[in-house]
Amino acid sequence: MPGNSKSRRYIGWACAYTPLVLMDAAGFSPCRVLPMGNPPDQAGRLLHETLCPHVKILLDRAMSADLPPLEGMVFTTSCDAMRRLADAWKPARPQDRVFLLDLPTDRGDWARRYLASELRRLADALALWGGEQVTGQRLRRSARQRAELGSLLHELARLRATGRLHGSAAVLQRLNNQAATLPLEEATDVLRSAAAELRQEPDGGTDVPIYLFGNVLPDPDTFALIEDCGARIVDDDLCTGSRWLTTTHFSAAGDAFQELAAALLHRPPCARTVTCSEPVAMARELVRRARACGARGVVCHTLKFCDPYLARLPAIRQALRDEGVPLLVIEGDCSLRTLGQQRTRIQAFVEMLV
Amino acid sequence: MMNTMREYFAGIVNSLEHKLEVDPVQTRTARRKYALETARLGQRLYSGTERVAWCGVAAPFDLLNALDISSCFVEFVGANLAGSGMVSTFLDRAESQGWAPDSCAYHRAVMGAALRGMMPEPDVLVATSAPCSAGVATLENLARHFGKDLFVLHVPQTDSPEAVALLAQQIKEMIRFVAQRTGTTVEPARLREAMLLSNQARELLVQVYHLANRVPSPVSSNDLRDLGIVLPLFFGTQAAVDIARGYRDELLRRVDTGERALPRERIRLMWIQNRIQFRTSIERTIAHEFGAVIVIDELNDVTWEPVDPDDPWEGLARRMSGMPLCAPAEQRIRHLRNLARSHRVDGVIHPCHWGCRQSLGARGLIQQGLGEIGVPMLDLAVDCIDTRAFSAGQVRTRMGAFLEMLAQRPSPWS
Ligand code: SF4
Ligand code: SF4
Repeated sequence: MPGNSKSRRYIGWACAYTPLVLMDAAGFSPCRVLPMGNPPDQAGRLLHETLCPHVKILLDRAMSADLPPLEGMVFTTSCDAMRRLADAWKPARPQDRVFLLDLPTDRGDWARRYLASELRRLADALALWGGEQVTGQRLRRSARQRAELGSLLHELARLRATGRLHGSAAVLQRLNNQAATLPLEEATDVLRSAAAELRQEPDGGTDVPIYLFGNVLPDPDTFALIEDCGARIVDDDLCTGSRWLTTTHFSAAGDAFQELAAALLHRPPCARTVTCSEPVAMARELVRRARACGARGVVCHTLKFCDPYLARLPAIRQALRDEGVPLLVIEGDCSLRTLGQQRTRIQAFVEMLV
Repeated sequence: MMNTMREYFAGIVNSLEHKLEVDPVQTRTARRKYALETARLGQRLYSGTERVAWCGVAAPFDLLNALDISSCFVEFVGANLAGSGMVSTFLDRAESQGWAPDSCAYHRAVMGAALRGMMPEPDVLVATSAPCSAGVATLENLARHFGKDLFVLHVPQTDSPEAVALLAQQIKEMIRFVAQRTGTTVEPARLREAMLLSNQARELLVQVYHLANRVPSPVSSNDLRDLGIVLPLFFGTQAAVDIARGYRDELLRRVDTGERALPRERIRLMWIQNRIQFRTSIERTIAHEFGAVIVIDELNDVTWEPVDPDDPWEGLARRMSGMPLCAPAEQRIRHLRNLARSHRVDGVIHPCHWGCRQSLGARGLIQQGLGEIGVPMLDLAVDCIDTRAFSAGQVRTRMGAFLEMLAQRPSPWS
């Protein structure tokens, strides 16, 4: 949750493809609305019970006014559930300004051009919402600051992987959540101090290294639970983990919107993005990353009813099987309670890997 | 395995051809000709000799027809497996291989068919990002399964000029991509002819829907079922024009002679999205017991302008993004309210097809939007494909309670 700083003007966001640098450059503080807390369950009335818990909890939070003061909300068309969330947000919070960024499905050349035009449209909307004019110079400054944030997170993740981060994966997740919600400068300060203060001698643990991937898993306690089962999360690919921050390099002379579009489209893909030349490319990429980090097994945590992930799982499962990498799939609902019910399965999986 | 489907479609074709031959006057109905053409498409897809493109729901089939490619949205296979009564085997197979039972059964059935070697190998695949991301995922999985090239048409969620222009450009690119993969050539004269035929079919459909929009209804619950979603498969061909003309002439005759769907029409209904694809007695029961008739389906409407035959790209782009299922909920609800008004419906049935996030996600908003104009909606909570999940008794009870409620309230239009 962002601090109380009154001068801040927050814009809410929900999908890891959101162009945060653009919002920074327009003078706003992007604040991720995370599916956390215990808002009363009422989203099903506007959506449906079989939509993913991520969008349902976000709408529950919106309907219970459990949000920081927002100047507006930026959604992306990342999947059906997210499109419907954008639709439902308007009647749920008629006072909010809502922008729906149309995110191309694939990563071809036309997609970059189209996304660039969408980013320009967002920049115009942010100006109408009282933001600054987005300039190349402002974008470059924000990209530098975000790059620093990115390298701090990277460093902390490295410490986690080698048992040198006090509090391990749970702490890293807490920091990720703070970094995604706090104003940029505050977030950078928090991470800087964490990198200095939470460093510890290698714990010398014998935990089993695993690679964790999936969509939205923001609750730090879930990471503690996984690690309590004897696993060490050595790398991850999660929308709320290593994947939420896109690093962008703007050249001095290029078209900044095109460059930002390219950066967003070519970040490590989540399941909803198609690479036409290699269908379900993420299967191979997951194998590569699991191997690269020395994981003995892979844990997939996906939210229930998440079509983009569930539909790609068979291919992912096959690719991991072909390479002899064990996989455990857990379907969750953003709550620790459902993960708690899987504790025995996680323990059994980890024991099998020893 | 492929033979089973080939025989299934051949059986339907033979039976319909026979019926049309022996009883040309009585049974030469538009519905039969439409069913015949659909079965012939199935035959072509499963022939093993035709060039095949598996596509997303919103693909511009007129262009693919102009290239002589047998093309179809994959959900057609799911629907036919359900219609043939064989679907459960395929759903079981997909689920046993890790396809989530929570997903859309159209897609699970298709994946089951592919795993059992019952999906013809395509030459190329064309996904459309709308109506649903699950459809894209299915085509991506099929492309991986068959090792064939995939093209994705991204249907924009905005109607900015840039969005329309970019989709138009993608469509052009898609046609080149398909032609190259299938060894065909794009002949401008052939494309032009296809667009002219599409425009003719469109014009006839406008008349069909206008004629169907009478009180009491000249169409039964079954006459126009799924026409709006299936007929586009034949756009760009004479078959689409003939089917639409057949319906137009038949409805003209019915309107002229005062023929009506029910002797005493008491309740007029609208159906949202697709119908249930396997055999049920729902339509018959509601007609006999409640005097209720489905007078309009959400997708039975012409929501696009004629396409310029000499420069069709932007027109096709607008047609795609204007499809009710592709649009944001606000636009979809506006369309549903217009249909409810123009057809004077008393109530709306939303099957709420299990697993269909794009549609289920808008359920509450649709219900609210229709409620604001005094039209109640029933959430039927069925799976339109999965026969294993169907409980006739439950559906009958829900439907019965809804229709009784409608019968007791004044029409929203009186
Ligand atoms: S978790 Fe899955 S279904 Fe939910 S918003 Fe993310 S990608 Fe969409
Ligand atoms: S029913 Fe829904 S999820 Fe299934 S194919 Fe159609 S739009 Fe997609």
